[in-house]
Amino acid sequence: MMKSAGIEENLLAIIDSASDSKHTPDANDDRLAFLEAVRSACIVNENPPTSKMCEAVFQILRVGKSLELITESFRLLNELDKRFPHVYLSEKEASESSHLIVVEGGWSPFLFNLESASRERGAGCRSISGPLDSLGFLQLMQELGEVANEGNLQALEIKSLRNMLVFQYLINALEGDFLPRNRVYEETMNWTHLRESLLNLLLSTRKINYKGLMKDCLTIMCGLFDVSAGISEDLESPDNAAAKLSHNDNTASALALFELGNNACFALQKLLIMIMDLDMSRKKADMQGSTTRADGVRTPLMEIILDEITYDTDMLSPFLKVFNEPKWKLEIILQYFSKYTTRLSTRTRRSNGPTEDATTFSGVLNCFSNVTSTRSITKKISADVVQVLLAHAFQAHLSLSCQQDADGIAASKDEGRSSSLAEICENIISAFSNLRRTDAKMEILPIGKEALFTAATILSTETGAQV
Amino acid sequence: MITRLIFLLKRQILIVSSFKLKLIRSKIFIVLLLLYDIYCRLALPRVRLSPWMDNICEDSSSNLTPVFYRPTSHFSCYCKEKMQEMGGEAEFATRGVHAFGNQKPQPLLTLPEFGSCPPLQSFMSSKLNSLVDLTTEKVETFLEGLLVNGWLSKLVNTRSYIEKSIAKWTFYLMLYSSKEELRASACDFWCNILLPRSKTEELPIRIEWFPSYCELRSALETYGFLFNYLSQTESIITDSGVRGPPKNIRAWIKFAAACCRVRSKRPVFSASEAEELVEVAVFLSSDHQLEGLLVLLDEFVQSVINYFTDEEWNISCEKIAKSISCRSPRDLNCLQTVECISGVSTRSNHLRSAVSYQILLNCFNNKASNEEEMLSLLISINVKDRSCDLFQMYIYLVLTENWLLSNPMFELKPVIYEMWGVYLRNCSCQITSTDMRPYASKVRTKASYILNGTTKK
Repeated sequence: MMKSAGIEENLLAIIDSASDSKHTPDANDDRLAFLEAVRSACIVNENPPTSKMCEAVFQILRVGKSLELITESFRLLNELDKRFPHVYLSEKEASESSHLIVVEGGWSPFLFNLESASRERGAGCRSISGPLDSLGFLQLMQELGEVANEGNLQALEIKSLRNMLVFQYLINALEGDFLPRNRVYEETMNWTHLRESLLNLLLSTRKINYKGLMKDCLTIMCGLFDVSAGISEDLESPDNAAAKLSHNDNTASALALFELGNNACFALQKLLIMIMDLDMSRKKADMQGSTTRADGVRTPLMEIILDEITYDTDMLSPFLKVFNEPKWKLEIILQYFSKYTTRLSTRTRRSNGPTEDATTFSGVLNCFSNVTSTRSITKKISADVVQVLLAHAFQAHLSLSCQQDADGIAASKDEGRSSSLAEICENIISAFSNLRRTDAKMEILPIGKEALFTAATILSTETGAQV
Repeated sequence: MITRLIFLLKRQILIVSSFKLKLIRSKIFIVLLLLYDIYCRLALPRVRLSPWMDNICEDSSSNLTPVFYRPTSHFSCYCKEKMQEMGGEAEFATRGVHAFGNQKPQPLLTLPEFGSCPPLQSFMSSKLNSLVDLTTEKVETFLEGLLVNGWLSKLVNTRSYIEKSIAKWTFYLMLYSSKEELRASACDFWCNILLPRSKTEELPIRIEWFPSYCELRSALETYGFLFNYLSQTESIITDSGVRGPPKNIRAWIKFAAACCRVRSKRPVFSASEAEELVEVAVFLSSDHQLEGLLVLLDEFVQSVINYFTDEEWNISCEKIAKSISCRSPRDLNCLQTVECISGVSTRSNHLRSAVSYQILLNCFNNKASNEEEMLSLLISINVKDRSCDLFQMYIYLVLTENWLLSNPMFELKPVIYEMWGVYLRNCSCQITSTDMRPYASKVRTKASYILNGTTKK
């Protein structure tokens, strides 16, 4: 402990004069030197970092004005978290269930307790320094949203790149905290672990409009994807304003943007998945009666997503394109269909009987097995939307079946997946054929064509192999 | 006036002694000392020092060039000369290495014949094609759609097979396409093939055509990567032409890293090729244009040094360190080269240590033949000597720190530690706190900082 304190004092002395507002090359050199010194003290020589050290590194990430500083501090923070996690599972030895270990007094980029909130409110303005509270997180999301909306030029600015990195780091921190807690919850069913998770604290505060935030998340995710994929064309046209930036800066930040934009997008997806996992555990806890009124009520994210993609059809296709985690993607699409196909059975869940049960993919495909039933669905959902949904569900199904092959797990839980791949492919083809039969003028969308080609090719190899 | 100067001097010394790794602040220190020096020597009663001093006081960390270059004053010229004399200008050595020169024209790629690709052919002749309307002209656009929307990966995974034409086409898109969407998807496609989730011993997917190191290397050449750095820097970087790297470098790095991780299933590179890849990885990491890709590059360095088997690594590490050290400049940038190797694993620590040692050897023109000799050379430097270049000394010190402290092998050799201690004490005790040479305070504080850390251990 003494040693850590000594190191801390020495290290912090490096940046003592570089206050946040100073961004001279000189102050930046100080910061770089500090980061390198922290790295060698903590990563190379394996001394756990103190809170003040982590805090200072995080501060550099939040105010840094050079690409080098923000990427370096980002990398260091992630390495520190990896090497010295705050929450982890004990090694499994004698006892069967793993035990959750929470490091006391560990530093976290979030601070949700009430004292700090009231103190800050008292001060009148929230300072940029220190850990974030939920309002800080909200503000970060808003700034990310601006980048996603306003597009390329702004995205090249250091501030935007920095926000992407900060966001990514925060999600990593949330994940590092949430995943082990959720694992333990699944084993022990002790809700306290999850109640105290950073993610739950972040979402359950009443200071932010949770629904609005989640809707923003979806828009930002799609926007960022476009920004990071579309910037190349802009940059390559010579008379663009961005091209007037000096070559070095331009290449460096454009290259960074592809990487960081993409990663931020992925981080958003991780956030959504974590929240849906949390919702699922919450549901279990509710049923077991381990939640209390203090836990509050929160609309499950799945419902919010379904609302968004149902009522905003422009959102549907981009969202499904970006969101590529197969398990949840398939689940979302199946829920979407179930709203329209089995109206009654969704209310009175699990009415055993009709094969038109839309809770499995093959069940959904069955609804499209003949022209009459197909027509009855296309009256409720437009044919284009059906095509997009079917194609993406097929894709998710393919990913899942590959994963299961790889893991060697026979699909046991979900009877829908037990139907062979060949059957699914045949059903996809007949579904699209039936769609066309309901309306001869209907155009098959590119993604539908691609799905058809894939299904046909898989079929021909499967049958070819059998012959 | 003099009291004020002395106050300022003291302030600087205070700050400096609290371990400052500072490039420019030390200049202020020199300037102050020079002013003091001249003030005393010339005993000028009313030199107009105050405007400058105010300048320095107001923003002591601002760039001081305006002070130096104020043309009316002979005084400033004197300062500038004096600075150069003292080696202060060495700090201005360009920071950051350019790993890339001008891009070269892309190789002409002849598009493979998709018509001959069996699945496409059979699909076009099937009756299902009435729904899709696929024709030979539309094949490429259609394939691009399949690639971008991820169908191609799914197909390859399900069929466990990839045709030569598709393999070649996606590989070239990844390395040479100017559309981000295409190159990123092509890169994901390949990474998905190379890094499957299954833990089988062989790659589950049969690949009809696999790119070789040669293809990767020539792509890098096209991007303008300077394989022979020192000999070519002057000639290649001209104003005409487009300087590398193109945006494809990101896909290149990801792909190369994936190839390294797949070794147990399919060795892609020979040991000597992998050695060159390590060098490439380190030099890519030190290029400032790629600093946004830091995390990616870090993973690349890790993957490629983990590519070697243990026996190979023991031989190769030395070789790699030697060639990296030959390429590394002798200024502050060589420290940056060392810092690129992150030290998160045993091997990267090993490499960091080996590279530092080799650069040190180079700095001494290979006069030392072993570690002890190296350290005695370092100890023999007399830091009190006025002609001793403390800037070089600073570089030696940091290199030695990395060489010894990153290397687990020396834990058994007490002699080395003793000599290291002597060297550190030389640096920390023999340089006085009033030493006005540039880098004097940096060397002194750095040495005492390390000394502090090692004795506590």
